[in-house]
Amino acid sequence: MHAPASDGPLDAVVAAAGGIILGKERQIRLALACLLARGHLLIEDVPGVGKTTLAHVLAKLLGLAFQRIQFTSDMLPADILGVSIFDRARGAFDFHPGPIFAQVVLADEVNRATPKTQSALLEAMEERQVTAEGRTRPLPAPFFVIATQNPAHQIGTFPLPESQLDRFLMRIALGYPDRAAERELLAGADRRELLAGMSPGLTAEQLIGHQESVRRVHVADALIDYVQALAGHTRVSADWQAGLSPRAALALLAGARAWGWLAGRDHVLPEDVQAVLPGVVGHRLRPADDLPAANAVQRLIEAVPIP
Amino acid sequence: MAATRTETPALAAAQTGWLLAIGFVALAPLAPHLPGWLAGATLAALVWRGWLAWRQRPLPSRWRLTLLVLAGSAGVGYQFGSLFGQNPGVALLVLFLALKQLETRTVRDGLAIVLLAYFLALAQFFYSQTIPAALATAAVAITATATLLSLTDARPAPAAQLRRAAVILGQALPFMLLLFVLFPRVQGPLWGLPKDAGSGLTGLSDSMAPGAISHLSRSDAIAFRVRFDDAMPERAQLYWRGPVLSEFDGRTWRPRRELPRATLPYAEPASGGIGYEVTLEAHGKPWLFALELPGATPELAFATLDFQLLAKAPVLARQRYLARSYPLLRAGADESPALRQQALALPAGSNPRIRRLAASWRADARSDGDVLRQAQAFFLRQGLIYTLNPPLLGEHSADEFLFDTRQGFCEHFASAFAVAMRAAGVPARVVTGYQGGEVNPVDGWLTVRQYDAHAWTEVWLAGRGWVRVDPTAISAPTRIDLDLAAAVPAGDPLPLLMRAEFSWLRDLRFRWDAVTNTWNQWVLGYTPERQRQLLQRLGMPAPDWRAMTALLAALCGIALLLLTAWILRRQRRADPLARQWEKLSRRLARRGLGRQAAEGPFDYAERVARALPAVAAEMRGLAALYARLRYAPPAADRAKTLDQLRRRVACFRP
Amino acid sequence: MALPAALRERFITWALRVRPPEPSPIVLSQRRVYVLPTRAGLGYAAALLVMLIGSINYNLGLGHVLTFLLGGLGVVAILHTFRNLVRLKVSHGRTPPVFAGEMAVFHLLLGSDVERRALRLWLPEGGDARVDVPADEPADVRLALPAERRGWLALPRIGLETTWPLGLIRAWAYCAPDARCLVYPRPAAKAPPLPWAQSRDTGKHGGGGRGRDDFAGFRNHQPADPPRHVAWKHTARRSEEAPLLTKQFEGATTASRVWLDWQATPEGDVEARLSILTRWALEAHASGFEWGLRLPETHLAPGSGQAHLDTALRMLALHGRDAH
Repeated sequence: MHAPASDGPLDAVVAAAGGIILGKERQIRLALACLLARGHLLIEDVPGVGKTTLAHVLAKLLGLAFQRIQFTSDMLPADILGVSIFDRARGAFDFHPGPIFAQVVLADEVNRATPKTQSALLEAMEERQVTAEGRTRPLPAPFFVIATQNPAHQIGTFPLPESQLDRFLMRIALGYPDRAAERELLAGADRRELLAGMSPGLTAEQLIGHQESVRRVHVADALIDYVQALAGHTRVSADWQAGLSPRAALALLAGARAWGWLAGRDHVLPEDVQAVLPGVVGHRLRPADDLPAANAVQRLIEAVPIP
Repeated sequence: MAATRTETPALAAAQTGWLLAIGFVALAPLAPHLPGWLAGATLAALVWRGWLAWRQRPLPSRWRLTLLVLAGSAGVGYQFGSLFGQNPGVALLVLFLALKQLETRTVRDGLAIVLLAYFLALAQFFYSQTIPAALATAAVAITATATLLSLTDARPAPAAQLRRAAVILGQALPFMLLLFVLFPRVQGPLWGLPKDAGSGLTGLSDSMAPGAISHLSRSDAIAFRVRFDDAMPERAQLYWRGPVLSEFDGRTWRPRRELPRATLPYAEPASGGIGYEVTLEAHGKPWLFALELPGATPELAFATLDFQLLAKAPVLARQRYLARSYPLLRAGADESPALRQQALALPAGSNPRIRRLAASWRADARSDGDVLRQAQAFFLRQGLIYTLNPPLLGEHSADEFLFDTRQGFCEHFASAFAVAMRAAGVPARVVTGYQGGEVNPVDGWLTVRQYDAHAWTEVWLAGRGWVRVDPTAISAPTRIDLDLAAAVPAGDPLPLLMRAEFSWLRDLRFRWDAVTNTWNQWVLGYTPERQRQLLQRLGMPAPDWRAMTALLAALCGIALLLLTAWILRRQRRADPLARQWEKLSRRLARRGLGRQAAEGPFDYAERVARALPAVAAEMRGLAALYARLRYAPPAADRAKTLDQLRRRVACFRP
Repeated sequence: MALPAALRERFITWALRVRPPEPSPIVLSQRRVYVLPTRAGLGYAAALLVMLIGSINYNLGLGHVLTFLLGGLGVVAILHTFRNLVRLKVSHGRTPPVFAGEMAVFHLLLGSDVERRALRLWLPEGGDARVDVPADEPADVRLALPAERRGWLALPRIGLETTWPLGLIRAWAYCAPDARCLVYPRPAAKAPPLPWAQSRDTGKHGGGGRGRDDFAGFRNHQPADPPRHVAWKHTARRSEEAPLLTKQFEGATTASRVWLDWQATPEGDVEARLSILTRWALEAHASGFEWGLRLPETHLAPGSGQAHLDTALRMLALHGRDAH
């Protein structure tokens, strides 16, 4: 995608993150776009490719409070949301907020937890609040969940059901670093030290302001036509088992807005849509039996003319 | 073919509507030429069909239709006395079109109606091939095409169907032109024409009774048009010779029976001729008109011994011929005594007063020339009045005209003069034809109309041969020098176009006439002869049918290719912005760099920039402009930016 | 029309030029679109000939004009009809699985960068459909075909034709998109009841042991709850007035899990046994419980939901067949 991106407002952040997570600028941008579009991010990849580091880096650079939750099969919803504990001295229940009360939450290996626990997390993500013991407590703002998941075929996992996957704005894979990046990684300084030495480039308030700007990014009629055509094509094409929902189309627009804004524009281009399309639709669509998902998305892009 | 569908789906309401419309449009131009009852019945059938469709009633049963067909055919047969021939044929076609409407159930029936409408459009040309008739036919063609469109796809609105029909017909025009010009023409008729062909045409008849020509002079229909090779001769010399009448029964003049057909009985002079081309309207008789005296017979024509030109068949279609005439030529000095004798015959006992007078002239005269001069003096003395409204004459028409009523039109003058001369023993005969004509200032052609019809006299003088004497000119010289309007007394009912107060109308008429003439010359008069001339002028040395067919095939092939390219091109978009982007893409496509459908503007620009570094900067700039116009929030200077894009795309030369 | 069937078939194979099936999208190239006059077109040509002869015989200049105009119209009609079909992009759309005995509905996507009108598609078996294709917007056509046998049902050769705009010319082409429809076995009309009894989960098969004791949450205690499910610890931390809470556990009880076993079906015809299993699968899905499927060579771990049903039905449909 060659949309001009010379003077993006968060280029410094992207560059700083790129200094730690080597050779993954595109994924960093997608993650940022996801955050700016007030969506949540699902990273599906094998362990050890830097999922956690990415979450850390983002939280640190954006000046956000960070929490990590390692999901296990014996985890209960309360372990995430928090519990009310009776305070004998006061004769009342005290709510002890769980780790979800943070601005950036890394939900590691989310598919190890039971569906019940998964859905507690996903409900909180969706509603941006936690309801426990009859009281509703809002989650901090901004609120951004990065969930990681091992590839579905691994033993002993509970894959997220399709209906829940929809709550993630994007799903990306980090992938192995390329040769040069891996060499630099091996030869260079410890990533954790680098991380510790980083200073935030933004405040939470600024970030909220940026999220507001992203929402105001202009979407021309021609572009809405394009998004509609894309969604329409998934609904009839043989490449997919079911089509994109209107919510998914909205997500696509939101992601494209953030992508365009990151590139320093006040409007969305078809290239922006194409850039975020694999991330936005990859986990929402089931390709027909014998087609790899990436191929199917590429075919989708090629099949729909830009109006 | 495999899986060919022969089903004929039932008609939709819109299709029935179109079929009715084509019925009305095809019948309208023919209605004036049909018997009243048939026109009425046809209209009634169409209205009935419309009513049935509107009320969704069932169509009449087959036996009832059969009955109607039989009754209608019987009516036609009774009206025309036959079921065969041109007029009954047209009437039957009309009948079938009307009744077929009453049994249109399927698309195939609909097609039959469209084909019938085409036939009727053609039949219209039996009666008229004017520009208005062509326009009426254009209406039929458009409606019929729209009907065909509707029979295939009934959904679009009528306006859309008409528009599409017009577009498709427009695309057919190049082929029409090529075929028209290059299709090897065959001179008809291929077989005998029906006996009633050409009925209803106006023109000089083969006999002349009092009132015959004055009747003709009320018509401003065109008799023929003339284009002179050089300057036009003086008006007083424009005597267009037609039928020569030598036999007189006391009232009516007729041509000599059993006229021998031959070449002209005199030799063409070496010089002094006037060359011209006549475009003669169809008049149903074989006469060809030429200035006195013609030098040679045109192609496909005869001459008679009394210097008249005849076509080989009645002129049923507009005909064009080249002629050359010699106004000073006198012929017939060696006329046979038998013929001279014939030119003296008068019925016994008729016109006694003029006979007596003529006998007195003869007694005083030393020669035939003297008799002639006395007769001319007598005509002048009598104070005869030239009028379009002569009183009716009785048995001795020449006597009554000369001595009693003294009012007459040219046929009275010519007839009386010839009678007088014969009575005096000078061989004389009446010549009918046209005198004068009108120069159209628009194209310079001379137009001769029916009201220019004229009759004059020829007398035979020893040593000089036949000499033209126009007795009308003696009493009303202005008829010859100016025109009819100048010659007749004020108050006579003149043809509308001759009246002075309608000069603007005349002016308009001149223009229309010039257009019509061009039309006649090039559309209706495009004969094998003219085709050959045209192709020779275009550089084909010997245009025979093989060369023409080859040229036609080649040009049609080229037209077909061009049209294919045009039809197969990507449809132009209505959006001016998208059009610019398409234009850019088309230009780059020549370098193999057309935009792919799913390629955004900047992706495209980068691809082009990589392939053509020379234009990289400009291409990126254009993409940025386009993207701004297409996807950015609407700005106030949008129109200006679009204009800038347009200019830069126009200058973009990859 | 009167061609013998075998000859016709050979002609069509020749006309196709590419051996079926072809990968999508199929673009109808110039070479595979055929154009011939329709019956109406032949009538039109005959009428024109009569008009030409009439014009010559009567020396009708305008008659020549009209005849030649209509002749040109016929030529233009060929072009338009050809354009209406040529370069059409045919790709197959989604084809939802059906049960044997139903109609398989094949979705075909017709795409074009120019508008095309009044196209007709047909199958040799007689199904047909009419469609307009707008510019740059794929049109979805459905062609129905009876699905008689379970397994893959391939879309046979389809014909596309058009006589638009004037109905005088017919352009047609054949193509065989690589589309197929999964046909599930026909659910048995009569089947034994769901084999609850035989299906006690013994844990022998697959990952069936999924958490009978996965903790799910609390609810107020009810007298019937087993004592070992009471949240004693939790209650102890709270005041005496607090209600007893019962721990709730995720996972179905043994009674609500069923194995649909090939062995449990009556001996006999393979198809009949598959039919019974199909019906069972539908019933088990409707019941909302977890269920698994055992076939002679393979099995499906218990589960529920539409995707589970789809997987099971697919296994049944392709039992003993090549999966591709």
